Amino acid sequence: MGTLLSAIAFGLILASVIAIAGMGFTLQFGLTNVLNLSFGAVMTVGGFAAYLARDHGVSAWYGLAIGGAVGAVVTLAIGRGLFRLYARRGAQLLEMIMVTLGLGLVINYAIQAISRNNIYQFNVLQSAPLHLGAVTITPTQAILIGIAVVVFVGLEAVLRLTKIGTALRAMAAEPSLARSCGIRTGRVVIITWLLSGFLCGMAGVVYIINSQSVGYATGELFLPLVIAAALLGGAGSPAGAVAAAIVMGVVTEVVSAYGGPQFSTAAGFGILVLVLICRPRAVLGDRGRETRLTL
Amino acid sequence: MLSSWSFYISTLVVYFGVDALSGISLNLQYGYAGVVNFGFIVFQAVGAYVAAAVTLGPSGGVSAFQHYVFGASLPFPLPLVLATAAGAVLAAFVGLFSLRRIRRDYQAAVLLVVSLIAFQVVEADVPLFNGSNGLVGVPRPLQSVLGLSLQGYQWVYAGWVMVLCAVVYVLVRWLSRSTWGRALRAMRDQEDAAAGIGLNITALRMQVFILGGAIAGLSGGLLVEFIGAWSPDAWTYAETFVIFTAIFVGGVSNYRGVLLGVLLVPIVFLQVPQFLPQIGYPGLTDSLQWMIIGLVWMLCLLWRPQGILPERRNLAPAYLTAESA
Repeated sequence: MGTLLSAIAFGLILASVIAIAGMGFTLQFGLTNVLNLSFGAVMTVGGFAAYLARDHGVSAWYGLAIGGAVGAVVTLAIGRGLFRLYARRGAQLLEMIMVTLGLGLVINYAIQAISRNNIYQFNVLQSAPLHLGAVTITPTQAILIGIAVVVFVGLEAVLRLTKIGTALRAMAAEPSLARSCGIRTGRVVIITWLLSGFLCGMAGVVYIINSQSVGYATGELFLPLVIAAALLGGAGSPAGAVAAAIVMGVVTEVVSAYGGPQFSTAAGFGILVLVLICRPRAVLGDRGRETRLTL
Repeated sequence: MLSSWSFYISTLVVYFGVDALSGISLNLQYGYAGVVNFGFIVFQAVGAYVAAAVTLGPSGGVSAFQHYVFGASLPFPLPLVLATAAGAVLAAFVGLFSLRRIRRDYQAAVLLVVSLIAFQVVEADVPLFNGSNGLVGVPRPLQSVLGLSLQGYQWVYAGWVMVLCAVVYVLVRWLSRSTWGRALRAMRDQEDAAAGIGLNITALRMQVFILGGAIAGLSGGLLVEFIGAWSPDAWTYAETFVIFTAIFVGGVSNYRGVLLGVLLVPIVFLQVPQFLPQIGYPGLTDSLQWMIIGLVWMLCLLWRPQGILPERRNLAPAYLTAESA
């Protein structure tokens, strides 16, 4: 029983990392229709930004904002600059996913070249662990869960209560109608890149705070869970991404505790596979609608 | 000096053959059927692992220092046959969940994830295929029977790879021009219309995926019997994109273009830097090579998505005139 409870607690910690990344991914994907496979690489960039900042004496917690800001700028540059360039040349969904993957390769191996293919320690000052019944977690881990909750509530509030959030949801639903209603679509797209990029960079920092190390493959190892969470939760739905993240985080850690850590990520992905086999419609939604890139 | 060149060139011929098989397989899947198999390298890897395991003998015997499943010591052509079958079986399994009529970008992402996950599982699960150390000491087929010098054996093996490569090339080209191949292209260009004229889209996609998986498995078997070792480092997800870049450089949907691309990208581009003086720290060249592969791929997509030798689109009219005559 104690093992199971601990596994669930660790699952929630992992879920908070997946959820932050997944919300960024799904926001981007839901609005622009770009299935951005360079997302993992940008996460790594955010993580390294926080690492460098800490090297210069900045606290790891400010690193969250720095990583987020770097992620936002990088994402805006590639989204508004690079992806739009391809879209103007007639790239569609499939070509775009290849572009994002090529970009992911370039960024990943650029980081490998710069970081000399080393893994760097990223220790956050640890205080006494918290005992919650049978479960023992560190205060850092508790804070990470708190951050995920704050991000989720904040994002939902922005999407539901502000004008820009309404515009964003309108555009995700029907871009051309939104444009003819007078929504400045270009501005909304820019805000989407910035917001999702911020979440992406921040997720990279959260990930390395949790794993206490950063290397060039950090984001790439994590990407399967993020993609699975975004597909499982439904494109463009932060709540769906969070729910999927919780399911996958808990399953991953429970399998890791009982079946061996080598199968943990595979088990998380296994859920997506099961859903794809049994209920493809749940993941894929209505096939009839024509989907286009919105950049 | 001369003999070391002969050794090197025969090795490159084998690599070319293996990469050409990969290119043909991926071009059949992507160029003809429009299946974006971002997990291609996994099917080559399973072929290599199976061929290695059924050649090495029972696990725990002579090679007690490594662990693997399917241990056996089968005679020469059988490991290759099993490698081919392994590629096909894995493709059937992966195809079961990834080839549904779903958005093709979803499909590509799911296949990429398959590649990343398979890597993590095989690397971490030592009893399966010896984890991150991989399998070593795979004997070369018939080396003792043939009784050739190392030099001679190299060239015999290279010739054998070339023969298989030619057989697969002719077979796949013939298939691509058959009714089946035209159905594939119809599916690629107009999926809904193809379904409308009664083609079974899911079945077609599954067939092409399994055939491609089988060729990939064969290429893996050929490679491992030559180099004698196989580990996760040989099949990171990025390896798939070397082949993708090759077919984009050479020409998508054009088999001659694919051969050209395979010659240019994995052979010339990845081999030439070995002759250049080393720059920076060890390993920097590798990172830069991968970056350039990614850049070349992106530039191809931007400037010349059809490659150096574009697809020949006059096949259908030629066929029609032949029918009516």
